[in-house]
Amino acid sequence: MTDPDPLIASKDLPSAFMRQTLLDRDLVRSAPNRPVVRLLPWLHVVTIGGRSIMDRGHDAVVPVVDELRAAFGEHRMLIATGPGVRARHVFSVALDLGLPTGVLASLAATEAEQNGHIVAALLAEDGVSYLPHTSVGHQLAGHLAASPAAVSNGFPPYELFEFPSPMGKIPQHRTDTGAFLIADAYGAARAIYVKDVDGVYTCDPATAAEGEAEFIPRVGAAELLAMDLPTLPIDRLVLELMANAKHQKEIQIVNGLEPGNVTKALRGEHVGTIIYAD
Amino acid sequence: MEYQGDAASLQSLLMSRSLTDAELLEASDAAPDYAILPDANVLKIGGQSIIDRGRVAVYPIVEELVKAKREHQIMIGTGAGTRARHLYALAAEFALPTGVLTDIGSAVAGQNAEMLGHLMARYGVPVVNGTGFGAIALYLEECGAAIFPGMPPYDMWQHVPSEGVIPPYRTDAGCWLVAEVYGARSTIFIKDEDGLYTANPKTDENAKLIVSVTVDELIEMNLPDLIVERPLLELMRHARHATSIQVINGLKPEFITRALAGEHVGTIITAA
Repeated sequence: MTDPDPLIASKDLPSAFMRQTLLDRDLVRSAPNRPVVRLLPWLHVVTIGGRSIMDRGHDAVVPVVDELRAAFGEHRMLIATGPGVRARHVFSVALDLGLPTGVLASLAATEAEQNGHIVAALLAEDGVSYLPHTSVGHQLAGHLAASPAAVSNGFPPYELFEFPSPMGKIPQHRTDTGAFLIADAYGAARAIYVKDVDGVYTCDPATAAEGEAEFIPRVGAAELLAMDLPTLPIDRLVLELMANAKHQKEIQIVNGLEPGNVTKALRGEHVGTIIYAD
Repeated sequence: MEYQGDAASLQSLLMSRSLTDAELLEASDAAPDYAILPDANVLKIGGQSIIDRGRVAVYPIVEELVKAKREHQIMIGTGAGTRARHLYALAAEFALPTGVLTDIGSAVAGQNAEMLGHLMARYGVPVVNGTGFGAIALYLEECGAAIFPGMPPYDMWQHVPSEGVIPPYRTDAGCWLVAEVYGARSTIFIKDEDGLYTANPKTDENAKLIVSVTVDELIEMNLPDLIVERPLLELMRHARHATSIQVINGLKPEFITRALAGEHVGTIITAA
């Protein structure tokens, strides 16, 4: 069917997708298929866990921050922080008030941001600032040309636009996912998650009987999802998103409580668990 | 407000368990659902389907919206349209990542909101965005309407599609998510067709109108082309408030008032 109104046709702008719904599978597929550009191929995205590191305070945070600082000459990095226990508290209050997932996401993101401000303050002397989402999304290249690192909120800017969850009302896009998405969008060299466990175990080593928890040094994301383990040191959504990732085909989880791990991971050494897209 | 769950046990689960823990998620599911703006309606104005047509299509809709806001609170979201398609095509040629496409595409929905805002300014209707959403309740109370750009603010954090680089969550998803988070009374998508068809009615003359359909049925039908963004269907499955959307033809502007009155004048897509 052609549009009978000439006024209408005249307002189209010629392009490969002109007058498409962008939903026709064949037409979308026909778009040129060059490999997606890596915008910042040298970027290292380092996520500092909220509960696992930040909540432990000085004794856990300072050694991690010191290792990052020592690596500034070698690597340029985006440091993403999680919200930790305060997010749990605000979830508890907001859920009790009946507030929706989008509001919970917005509240928890504020807590991740505050932890980011703390880490940035610890590194301010080295030229590191906290960057809000809009700067991370638009001016990261410039900031990292002037400075070895920038700190950001690990939560992605979904906030009120957070997806409703398949089960319950806890927002799905949290620190792990936010850091993964930004690492993939920038085509980063590496995405490293600094936590308080050595990596992935078959069950929680903190609560399992002696020798029961088996360490998994390297595993496929889909394989790991299929194992349906009771507890994981990384959000499952990251593992799901790895299937479509354009660049981030590997992530690494390291124990930040053990000195040297962060440095080794930044150098590409296999410490902790590496999860790859399979 | 009925709430069977136990707030104390939810709090203790939140403090001790992982946020993916099944018991914790179930407990959070039992928390009450408070609709923030239960009298508001979300109307989405199509970019390509309506705004790109210019005066011919937009003026009559503005007139209808001005009448409608006397009786209903309306949050008006805008689509992007042909300039976004041009940007997407250009950026895809350079093989730029989805996050960049999301960012530049959202500016087009912003322009459409700006234009609509100027047309409705004399009726007191503001454009809100970002932190401006904090004042939306006041605008709805005082003037009955507010306009927002429909693109969700995912920017560089947008999900990556399985094929190509076009952002999967665009203005349909953005407008629906506004309805969902505010617990809006209804969600109406204003496009240039009488509703959802079995194929694109602009290119396929055998296309048949579907009057009402569930999300599951629609996914099952696996239609080659669709009037709403596919990932929205998946989101709707988990709706707590915005459990249906009606797709109507804005070239028949009286349908807007009728849809707001609860009449079935287009295609109704329900979550279940």
